[in-house]
Amino acid sequence: MLRFAIRRILMAVPTLAIMAVAVFVLIRLIPGDPASLMLGDLADPASLADLRERLGLDKDIATQFVIWFGNVLRGDLGLSITSGQPVLPLVLERFWVSARIVFIAVAIASLIAVPAGVIAAWRQNSALDLALVGTATVLLSIPTFWLGLLLLLLFGLKLEWLPVVGYVSFSDNPTAALLYILMPVATLFLHEMGVLIRMSRASTLEVLRLDYITHARAKGLSERAVLWRHAFKNAFGPTWTLIGLVLGNLLGGIAVVETVFTIPGLGRLLVDSIFARDYPVIQGCLLFVAFVYVVVNLVVDLLYPVFDPRVTAE
Amino acid sequence: MRLPAPNAVLGGAIIGVVVVAALLGAVWTPVDPLKINFAARLQPPGGAYLLGTDEFGRDVLSRLMAAAATSVWISLVTVAAAVTGGTIIGLLTGYLRGWTDRILMAFNDALLAFPGILLALGLLAVFGANKYGIILALGLAYTPSVARIVRGTVLSLREREFVEASRVMGNSEIFTVMRHVLPNCIAPLTVLATSMFGWVLLSESALSFLGLGVPPPAPTWGNMLASSRSFIAQAVWLGIFPGLCISLTLLGINLLGDALRDRLDPRMRGV
Amino acid sequence: MMKRTIAFTLGTLLAAAPAAAQTVTVALNADIRSTNPGVNRDDNTDAVVLHMVEGLVGYRENGSVAPLLAEKVDVSPDGRTYTFTLRKGVKFHNGAELTADDVLWSWNRYMDPKTDWRCRSEFDGRSGLKVEKAEAPDAATFVMTLDRPSALFLDSLARTDCGMTAVLHRDSVAADGSWDKPIGTGPFRFGEWRRGEYVTVTRFDDYSSPPGDRPDGLVGAKRTALAEVKFLVVPDASTVKAALVSGAVDLAQVLDSDVPELSASKSAAVGLYPSATKHTFLFQTRDPLLGNVKLRQAIAASIDIPELVAAVSNGHGKANNSAVALTSAYYGDVQRKAYAYDPEKAKQLLAEAGYKGEPIRIIANKRVHVPSFNAAVIAQAMMQAVGINAEIEVLEWATQLDRYNKGNYQMMSFSYSARLDPALSYEQFSGPKDRQPRKVWDDPAAQDLIEKASVISDEAERRKLFDQLHELQLETTPLIIFANGQEAWAHTKRLEGADPWEGKPRLWGARVATN
Repeated sequence: MLRFAIRRILMAVPTLAIMAVAVFVLIRLIPGDPASLMLGDLADPASLADLRERLGLDKDIATQFVIWFGNVLRGDLGLSITSGQPVLPLVLERFWVSARIVFIAVAIASLIAVPAGVIAAWRQNSALDLALVGTATVLLSIPTFWLGLLLLLLFGLKLEWLPVVGYVSFSDNPTAALLYILMPVATLFLHEMGVLIRMSRASTLEVLRLDYITHARAKGLSERAVLWRHAFKNAFGPTWTLIGLVLGNLLGGIAVVETVFTIPGLGRLLVDSIFARDYPVIQGCLLFVAFVYVVVNLVVDLLYPVFDPRVTAE
Repeated sequence: MRLPAPNAVLGGAIIGVVVVAALLGAVWTPVDPLKINFAARLQPPGGAYLLGTDEFGRDVLSRLMAAAATSVWISLVTVAAAVTGGTIIGLLTGYLRGWTDRILMAFNDALLAFPGILLALGLLAVFGANKYGIILALGLAYTPSVARIVRGTVLSLREREFVEASRVMGNSEIFTVMRHVLPNCIAPLTVLATSMFGWVLLSESALSFLGLGVPPPAPTWGNMLASSRSFIAQAVWLGIFPGLCISLTLLGINLLGDALRDRLDPRMRGV
Repeated sequence: MMKRTIAFTLGTLLAAAPAAAQTVTVALNADIRSTNPGVNRDDNTDAVVLHMVEGLVGYRENGSVAPLLAEKVDVSPDGRTYTFTLRKGVKFHNGAELTADDVLWSWNRYMDPKTDWRCRSEFDGRSGLKVEKAEAPDAATFVMTLDRPSALFLDSLARTDCGMTAVLHRDSVAADGSWDKPIGTGPFRFGEWRRGEYVTVTRFDDYSSPPGDRPDGLVGAKRTALAEVKFLVVPDASTVKAALVSGAVDLAQVLDSDVPELSASKSAAVGLYPSATKHTFLFQTRDPLLGNVKLRQAIAASIDIPELVAAVSNGHGKANNSAVALTSAYYGDVQRKAYAYDPEKAKQLLAEAGYKGEPIRIIANKRVHVPSFNAAVIAQAMMQAVGINAEIEVLEWATQLDRYNKGNYQMMSFSYSARLDPALSYEQFSGPKDRQPRKVWDDPAAQDLIEKASVISDEAERRKLFDQLHELQLETTPLIIFANGQEAWAHTKRLEGADPWEGKPRLWGARVATN
């Protein structure tokens, strides 16, 4: 298990390194320059040159990369150009904001969607199945940014039950935090329900077709026992992998939900720093997301045997 | 001949309407979608403007139609590009194997490991936020998944008898690939391309919504939604119609995709 | 930290309890960058820092420069020696008396490259003017000697983006020379800065105000009645709106589109404040098409500027085609001369220019608080009405700025930040394109006039030069200036007299109404 984990982490190193280089080069190809952005239309050549020198932007790109990458290896992601704050704490802080919303949404969605999918598969082609699959397909088809807007319109503006925008951290005011987090979580939750119901139904169908289910039925086990003891356990494995994928993608896609609800999360930080050409923050965000993605998938793979006894971690 | 599945009928009908609206929107709209009329700002639906007007007094229906044309065109070209590129890479790596395979797949996986929309965000910033930038960025972002599927199909086929036979009969590698391997990729590719059309449409809307997609004043469903945010309290319809268009189109695609999958590729059912 | 900010803001908001009576809360849309005057700064930073520090001279409302820490400024007949006599009894926040020695120390610190003062190049000869000597012959006298006479020297010292060249006590920096906190002479002293959340300033009881019976720009009466001011970071405009209504925030800049709603609210009032920001359409005079002056004049005649200004400002704005701001002491009859809206003349000029429907692309951006995109959309419609094939290209601000700096555009909807002296205002867009591609107006005749206005200090003489510049600009139309900035600020009804100036809240003149 440990050797497997270490090997997986080592395998991720080249991916992360390729990414680091790609990200670094890519964002410097974007037209626009942080120094001239900070000075705006007041930039005279002399003060621009001063600022570029202070930010280290006057050095050639290879030198800049070597300096940055050296610092990254030492765990230092640098300072934000616009705010002067260190990047790593900034990214972590924003990440927790996003992660809390994503994790809550995906956790609740999995708890409901996975059994729902199993039931739909068990009663394949029944009215219940049709209703579940239909609902899932509709939920899946509504983009999160529109769903969010609709919820906002209904609960925020028309009914005035929930606050419209913003974010409160749990440590400051748990009740308020809950109110503020409700709509973003609901948005992601509804969308992920659509994805997960379909996934778990599909993997259960696959399992139900396998011989040992027929075998178990032939042994005279009750349908319920067959379903829970054999089908559910085995269908959960593949779904679990997909939950990992979903988590990774959500961190990428959460920028839109954060925009709708003005949540100061990681996605918003990334988009804002792209607008501000805050190179260290963009690099830090993307590297961090890739890292989280690798870690989430590693955890998923390590836990896979727990859910699917046919597979061992080797 | 078996009857078409109900989801195929419903999905097909929705997509049919969208395609007709898009084709029509490319050549004709009730009003010029860019025409400003300050006298008719934020008119509610009904009356002279069937679906109302926006903050510049532009006709929402006309803008939705023009946006359909843009979105469908972008999605089609992007999918075509990703499928072509991905197929070539998949065939090369799957058939040649060895170092070509290892190097290309390493890059492929690095790309796959990166959330699609983030990759598109980065690439878009470089290529510039316009139609072609989006096609390039999303095309690049979705190529790896095509390559993976084609490569998988090729790997599973290359040891099969009929491929072996073709080789033994002295046919060239290229001929073998074209004649025997490629046709077997068509079914999974059709299924993938259909879903991908939906993903691209969604990504394009999301990017436009973030202000990184097709720039205004040219309408897309995504940027119409984005600019509706400031007026959501006064003009609900501005936020409703574009979202409805995106959702219905995606629903159509998903239904059609499911039906196609059941038909062409039972192994992938429901995924 | 960020999440705490928002948490804090909304926590207060939810509780909806009015802030403690004597603390006034001002919303900033972003955190300040530092407390170090003129070094790491933006508009928010300047606004906060200028509550705590002051320079020798400062701006009046009309853009002229008045003594602030100085009692008077004497200029030698050759215009090269400036003698500042300091006001008596001025104290730093730590109780130390202000002396010429402190002024000299501050000046030397600014001129040290290690300080990174953004205005150093204005005074070290790299942009022309050079301060050759600065000395403190006695405790109340500070003397600066320039290499040439200049009409803009005091103006540059007073510039807000230079941090007013504020005089600081030497304990403002730590032993190793790094910045610690501002110990200045302003009406407020530094309180606490929680990054991403808020900055507070508290009343300085030993403050010695410059003369005057009311605040005038950054001079005039500046002694404050407020015990404490909290500058709270609230990035989101809709949160700001809600906070104003609930009373969690007392003063904030708001979006034009929020003005009707806030004006109607029981607890808040809205004021509109002019600024010297210039909203413009730039032309690239080196473009093969727009190099033709007739075509540029045709575009100017095709746009109904008062109508456009009304549309982009919800009917509140005033048109101004001059680089001299409406609020400036130099704004007079000549500056009132404007482009005439005349579609027929536009069509005729187009024909004379030999225009054949070639596309003309207007670059714009969608930043809030600038009318770039909206102005471009309206201009496009008006230009199309006379047969000009106008297109709009919306760029993200960073990309547009890059295109601006490279001069890579045909037409651009662009806003210039405020420059209060007309010579500096003209200088913003005039100059040789060969050396500085971002310059818009490349005309030796204009350059000559601007140069003269930078040297001559006599007001009547300068007025003549600015009049000539305006006529020349209208005629050659290298750009269309269509309006100055007009900012909407909302305040709670309990707060009185907190009139912002040039986009900056000024709290020293404010009072809290007791009811």
